[in-house]
Amino acid sequence: MELLIQTIINGLLIGGIYITISAGFTLCFGVLHVIDFAVGEWVMLGAFITFIISTSTHIDPFLLLPLIFVMFFIAGYLLQPTLQRVITKNKSNALLMALAFTFGISVLFKGAALTIWGFNERNLVTILSGKSISLLGINIPSLRLGTFVFAIIITIVFLWFLQKTRFGLAVRAAAERQDVAGLMGIDSNMINKVVYAIYTGLTACSGALIGAIFSINTEMGVRYTIFAFFVVVAGGLGSIEGAIVAGILLGLLNSFISVYIGGQYVFLVLFLFLYLILLAKPKGLLGKGW
Amino acid sequence: MRKRINFLWITAFLLCLALAVLSAGCGNKEAATTGDSKEQGDVFKVGVLTSLSGAEVYGGNITKRGYDTWADTVNQKGGIKVGDKQYKVQMFYADDQSDPASGADAVERMITKDKVDFILGPYTSGVTLAAAPICEKYKVPMITGSAESPMIWQQKFKYTFGTIPAVNLTASYPVNTLVSDIPGGAKTMAILAVNDAFSKAVAESFKATAEKLGVKVVKYDIVPAGTDFTPLLGAIKGLNPDVVAVGGHEKEHMEVIKSAKSLGFLPKAFLMHYGVTNPDFVKNLGKDAEAVYGASTWTSDLDIADALFESSKKFVETYKTKWGDEPDYTATGCTVAGEVFGAALEKLGAKPPLSESDREAMVTVLEDIKVDTLYGATSFAKEGDNYHNNTGLEGLTIQIQGGAVKIVGPKDKKLAEPIYPAPAWDKR
Amino acid sequence: MTKNNKALVGLLLAGIAMLMLPLVISSFWLRIVTGAIMWVGLAQSWNMLAGYMGYVSFGHGAFFGIGAYVTAILMAKGLPFIGALVLAALVTALFAAIIGQPTLRLQGAYFAIATWAFAEGIRQLVLVLPFTGGANGMRMEAFLNENFFYYSMLLVSAAAVAVTYFLFQKAVFGLRVRAIREEETASQALGLNTTAIKVKVFALSALFPGILGGVYAYWITYIHPESVLTPLIADQMVVMALLGGLGTIAGPIVGAMVLFLGNRILWVMFGDTSFYLVLLGLAIAIVILFLPDGIVSLFTRKKKTGEGISKENVRNITG
Repeated sequence: MELLIQTIINGLLIGGIYITISAGFTLCFGVLHVIDFAVGEWVMLGAFITFIISTSTHIDPFLLLPLIFVMFFIAGYLLQPTLQRVITKNKSNALLMALAFTFGISVLFKGAALTIWGFNERNLVTILSGKSISLLGINIPSLRLGTFVFAIIITIVFLWFLQKTRFGLAVRAAAERQDVAGLMGIDSNMINKVVYAIYTGLTACSGALIGAIFSINTEMGVRYTIFAFFVVVAGGLGSIEGAIVAGILLGLLNSFISVYIGGQYVFLVLFLFLYLILLAKPKGLLGKGW
Repeated sequence: MRKRINFLWITAFLLCLALAVLSAGCGNKEAATTGDSKEQGDVFKVGVLTSLSGAEVYGGNITKRGYDTWADTVNQKGGIKVGDKQYKVQMFYADDQSDPASGADAVERMITKDKVDFILGPYTSGVTLAAAPICEKYKVPMITGSAESPMIWQQKFKYTFGTIPAVNLTASYPVNTLVSDIPGGAKTMAILAVNDAFSKAVAESFKATAEKLGVKVVKYDIVPAGTDFTPLLGAIKGLNPDVVAVGGHEKEHMEVIKSAKSLGFLPKAFLMHYGVTNPDFVKNLGKDAEAVYGASTWTSDLDIADALFESSKKFVETYKTKWGDEPDYTATGCTVAGEVFGAALEKLGAKPPLSESDREAMVTVLEDIKVDTLYGATSFAKEGDNYHNNTGLEGLTIQIQGGAVKIVGPKDKKLAEPIYPAPAWDKR
Repeated sequence: MTKNNKALVGLLLAGIAMLMLPLVISSFWLRIVTGAIMWVGLAQSWNMLAGYMGYVSFGHGAFFGIGAYVTAILMAKGLPFIGALVLAALVTALFAAIIGQPTLRLQGAYFAIATWAFAEGIRQLVLVLPFTGGANGMRMEAFLNENFFYYSMLLVSAAAVAVTYFLFQKAVFGLRVRAIREEETASQALGLNTTAIKVKVFALSALFPGILGGVYAYWITYIHPESVLTPLIADQMVVMALLGGLGTIAGPIVGAMVLFLGNRILWVMFGDTSFYLVLLGLAIAIVILFLPDGIVSLFTRKKKTGEGISKENVRNITG
C-alpha cells in the first residue's frame, strides 16, 4: 500500500517535470506551428546559465528563475525573426524547414557549450535539494514538489493569460488563422516573437529545475528533447490542457512500469504507448491538438 | 539574384571565420606539443583516438588528460631512450565523436595520413571494437588506457592491448569486501545498472559475486539510459536491502544519490562503479558522496615507484598542477599506456619511424613485457578470455571518506577502515 | 548535342570517375567517400518518401538499424554476407510494409512523430531482446577490403538514385505519388488506391536503408544500438535532403556530400577541439535560412523538378 502511494506520488511529480519542459513548447507549436528541435538545448543552456550565476553569486536557483526567464525571453525574442524568415520563405514546407533550421541551431548550441564550458558534470544545489516531506511512511521529495508547484503555477498563468487577457485573445486568434488575424489588425509578427520568447524563457527555467533535480552537462539536451516531444505529441500538438494530462499520465506510467514491470522496459512501453496513441487518437489524448 | 549574393556573402563570412579559427587552432597546436622536433624521423608519432565530442565527451577528455600527462612528461625529460639517443613524442589527436564509424575513420586517418607509429586508444569499448580491425590491417599496435568491456579481449585482436583490467575482474572486489571483510557484512543487495555494455557488465559481475557469497539479490534491474531513478529507488526502499549497487557513470551515480536522499532513503552502503573516483563526483555531491563504495585498480593514495615520474605521488602532483584535479584510475591507466609503449620501445631499440617489422616485433615485446609502473606490475595475457589485457593488477575496494578516495579493501591492501553502515544524511 | 545527350555524357563520365576513384585516392579518403556515398543512398531513400510523397519520416534510421541487425544476426548463424544481406533487405521492406499500413493514415507532424516513436521503440526493443546482444552489440569477423565496401555502397546508392529517377521522376507511378503530395483527398476521389501507393513507397524507401545498414554492419564490423539505431541517423537523412533540396534528384546527393564531407573536413582540420560543431551548426542554419530550396536551387531556377499536374497527367495517373 505504501509502495503504491509512493509510486503514484513519484509518478505525479515526474509528470510535473514533464509539464515544465513542454508547456512553452506546446504553446510555441500551437501559435508558430513550428517544432523546435533545439528544445533540449534551451534546457541545457538554462541549466548552465543558472549554475554559473548561482555559484558566483550564491543566490538560490529558485530565486534566479525570474532572471533566467527574462534573459532567455530576450534571447528568444531576438532569435525569432530569423526563424520567422525560414518559415515565411517556404510556406509549403514551413514545419520541415524550421525543424532543419533548429537542428542546425541545436548543433551550434551544443558545440558552443562544449567549447566554452567543457565536459565536466555539474550539480545545481538549491535550498530544497535532498530534503523531503515525510507523511505516514511516504516521502515527497521537496525539490520535485517545488517543480510540480512551478508547473501548476505556469500552466494556470498560461491559461489565464490566453483566456482572459486581450493579448491572449490575439494569440489564440493568431493560432487559429494567422492571415485572418492579420486582417483584423493583430500584429502577428509581434505575437510570434513574444510567444517564442515565452517558450525559450520557460524552457530555460525548466532547465534550471532539471539541473537541480538531475545533473548538468552539455549533452543533456537530447534526453529532454525526447521528453518534450513525447508529452506535446501525446497531449495533442499545441494543446496546453493536453500537455498537462499527457505529462501526468506519462509520469504515472513511467513510475508504474519502473516499479511493477521492470525499469528495463520503461522506454519500450512508453514509446509503444505513444505510437498507439497516435494511431488511435491522432489529435492527442484530449483530441484538442492542432 | 539577391539570393546568390546573400549566399556568397555568407560563404565568404564562413570562410573567414574558418580561417580565423584555423590560425588560432594552429597556434594552440604548437603550444601543446612542447618542443616537437623539426626534423622528420626524430620523433615518435603517437595517435590519440578518443571521444572529444558526443555522448562520452567526459570520459574522452579524462583519457586525453592521461595521455597528455605522459607525453608532456616524456618530452620534458628529453624523450624516449632508444639506444644512446632520446626521441621525443608528438601527439596526433582525433575525435571519434563517440561513434564507432567515426572512430574507424579516425584510426585510418592517423595511420595513413599522419603515419603514426602507435596508437593510444579510445575511451569507449564500442569505438575500440571498431578501430581494432583497422589497426590489424595496417599492423599498428594500440593500447587503450580505458576500454574495459570483456568483449574486446574475447575477439583476440593481435595489435590491441589494454592497461585496465576487464571490468568483470575489478567489480568483484568491493562486493567481497562488503560481504566478507566487514563484521556483520551485507546480507541483501539491490542491483541497478544502465543498459550500456560497460554498466551492464558491472551489474552482472556484482550479481555473480554476490550470489557466490550467498547474498540475496532482492532487485536486479537494467534500465535504459535517461531513466528517472526515483520510482525504482522508491520500490527498493520498501525492500530495505543492505547494499544498493549501481553500474553506470558519474552522471547516473549523482542522480541515484540525489534521488535516494530526496526520498529519505539510505541503505547501509551504496556501491557504485564507474565514476565515483572521478573528482567531479565528490565536487558535485559534497557530503552526500560520503561513504559511497566503489571499485578501482589504483588510487592517488598509493605510493608506488615509477621510472618516468619517480613515484605515483609525483605523478599525482604533476597531474594536479596540469589539470587542477586529481587523477583517477582511468586517467592513470592512460598515462601508464603511454609508459608501457615507452618501455617497449626502449626494449625494442627501434628508431622512429617504426617500420612494419618493427611494429610486429613490438607486439612480441609487449606480450612478454613486465613493467613496474606507478600503476603496479603491468603485463598482458597471451591467451584466454583476457587476451592482451593487463592481468598483472588486482582490484581495490575504495570508499569516499572525508571527500577523498580511500582504499578500504581487500584486507592486505587497505589504507583505511571501511565505514559501514553509512552515517545518516544529516549526520555528516 | 541536345541537352539530354549532354546530361548522358556527363553522367557516363561521372560514373567512370566513380568507378576509377579507388585507384587515385588514398585509403583514408576512400573510407570517407564510402561513408559519403552511404549517406547519399540514405538521404535519397528518405527523399522518395518525403520529397515526392510529402510524408516526412523521422524513423527511417530504424530501417538502417534493422538491416544492420538482421545481417549481423544471420551472419552469426553462419550465412554468407550476400545471403544475409538479401534476407535483411527483404525483412526490412516487409517490416516497413506492415508498419506502414497503420502509420501512413497519419499526416504531417503526426506521421513524423509516429515514425520517430516507432524507431525509438525498435531501439529499446533491441536493447532487451535476447538475440541482439542488447547493449553489448554484435561484432562480425572483419573483412578488410576497402574497395569491396566502396563498390557495394556505390552500387546500392546508385540503385537508390536510379530508382528515384526512373520511378519517381519519369514513370506514371511517380506522378501518382506526387499527386498524393499535392492533394491526397483529390487523388482518392480520382480513383487512386492511395493506401497501396503509399505503402509501396514506404517499403521502397525502407528497402535501401536496410541494405545500406547491412553493408555498414559488415564494413564497420561492430554495431550496437547507439551506433545504428540512434535518432541521429534519421535526423541526418532529413537535414541532408533539405540542405541539398527536397523533392529533387540532385538535392539529397549534394546535401549528403556537403554535410558528410563538410563534417569530416572540419573534423580533420579542427579534430582536437569541439569547435567544428559550432561551424557545422552555423553552416546548416545559414543554408536553410538563405537557400530554403536547398543548395541545388543555386544552380536551377525551377523550385521543384518534376512537373506539376496537368490535365493530361491526370488522365495518365488514373488511366
